[in-house]
Amino acid sequence: MYGKGIAKGLWVTLKHIWGTYAKDIKKFPRRYAPGGIAKRTDYDLYGLFTLQYPEERYEMFPRFRGALMHLRNPETGEPNCTACGACERACPHGVISLEGEGKGKDRKVTAYRYDLGRCIFCRLCVESCNFNAIELSREYELSRYKKDFILELDDLLKIGDKYGIHKTGEAWGVTE
Amino acid sequence: MQVLDDLWIRIAVWFRGLLESFLPPWAVQLTMDVLGILLLIVLGIVVVLAFTYMERKVIARVGDRIGPNRAGPFGIFQAIADAIKMLTKEDVTPTNADRWLFLAAPIVVIIPAVLLYAVLPFGRGMVGVDLNIAVVFVVAMGGIPILTMLMAGWASNNKYALLGAFRTVAQLISYEVPMVVALLTVVLLAGTMSTVGIVEAQASFPFALVTPVAFVVYMLAGLAELNRTPFDLLEADSEIVAGYFIEYSGMKFAMFFLAEYINLFMVAGMITTLFLAGWQWPILPSWLWFLIKVVVVIFLMMWIRATFPRFRIDQMLGFAWKALVPVSLVNLFLVALVAKVLEPGWARTGVLFVSNLALLAGAIAIMAQVARKREERARAAGEAAIKRYYGSEVR
Repeated sequence: MYGKGIAKGLWVTLKHIWGTYAKDIKKFPRRYAPGGIAKRTDYDLYGLFTLQYPEERYEMFPRFRGALMHLRNPETGEPNCTACGACERACPHGVISLEGEGKGKDRKVTAYRYDLGRCIFCRLCVESCNFNAIELSREYELSRYKKDFILELDDLLKIGDKYGIHKTGEAWGVTE
Repeated sequence: MQVLDDLWIRIAVWFRGLLESFLPPWAVQLTMDVLGILLLIVLGIVVVLAFTYMERKVIARVGDRIGPNRAGPFGIFQAIADAIKMLTKEDVTPTNADRWLFLAAPIVVIIPAVLLYAVLPFGRGMVGVDLNIAVVFVVAMGGIPILTMLMAGWASNNKYALLGAFRTVAQLISYEVPMVVALLTVVLLAGTMSTVGIVEAQASFPFALVTPVAFVVYMLAGLAELNRTPFDLLEADSEIVAGYFIEYSGMKFAMFFLAEYINLFMVAGMITTLFLAGWQWPILPSWLWFLIKVVVVIFLMMWIRATFPRFRIDQMLGFAWKALVPVSLVNLFLVALVAKVLEPGWARTGVLFVSNLALLAGAIAIMAQVARKREERARAAGEAAIKRYYGSEVR
């Protein structure tokens, strides 16, 4: 019959209106609950699955290439970095510059500058590292308020504390 | 329940008594009139705030989105945030624009929109003025915005604005005709042109049940008058920049926006008054019934907007002149005949309801036949073209 599509279309949109509200009520405290997005995304059903960004974030996949991070020795809590300069030499863009002090086994990193604005996330620095000191993190919120894209050693260690080696290293085939 | 029913009237009477205790009679009348006007204008603005929020939520839910949820709990202050944004924006007047006309258009568009509220019966005994020619007033005031659109389009000194205005005027004038005929059908049934009288005539049956055809025609024409989807091709937000108000920004644009939503409430209120028995129906207070019905009608309009794609300009005008006008005219004759022969009651309602449904089915069947013919012609023409191109063999 002519005009049947009109009724059919109206029915479809109506189902979406009451369907999403019904699901809201059925799973009530889920809006800003921790892990809310995981509870909402059942792909076989319709409903709201908008990510409400500042309250909840997607966890990136393990091989995601975000900002560089520095890792600590789990026993002493000191940075793994020995300031050998391999990453500085490997970097095609001159993103990394570092300073260290001490000789031989006592050599420690004192300053490490990482220019986020020029980094192309090629991961050559990580591959050149022999001490398991640096790794690309899953940090993707890299925007800044100022043109201040240079991260110092403390910032990199902070990112490292947040993400750690565990999943990232495993995904790249690195073992501790 | 009786107290709730005439709550607002009691407040008005009490307030008038309060004023009479220290003011002369003419001052009391003046104050009450000015207050009434202010209340209607405030109602208009509240309506805009409420229904923009509702519209955004409904459209969002259709698309499985959340909609505004940042400003305040559940985003209820979104409309206020939008209003502040509009007020603080730069007000641009194009070079070589007709400055006074450009300024006048957004002011003139809002006046008839608010004026129309005067004849809307919001509840039992709650009407600005009980005009005995209220329906004519509605049609006349509904015609003024058409002039404004031409004013805005012409004053902008922009060919796209002017073309948009021409299109809008063509659309609105076309849809005025079936709208008026549908109104006339209701007037015939009610035997009065006063909106209050029309509501009272629907005590036993709402006119939507008596003449569904007039209801549908009025609804479609109302959507077209409001420039809403599926008739919103002057705005067509996903395809072109807005039509006649392309050059407007800031508060002047906000005035057009305001007028659009005030008109939305007005058309929904007229549909409620003319076809859904206005404030009648038992149990709940009359003004609450009116509000519920208006919200349901507006929801219906938003639902239609969320569902259907828009017409092409020739399809739209063709739909008005070739479908709506004949159907509404036939319906007018039908109603006039039956209303003359039968007395108001179950028999008349039944006969009209059944004949209206038959008319609707017949109209749809004829439209289907026409569409099928057109499709066949198009296919034949296509096949002929292929034949011409490839010779006798069709690959």
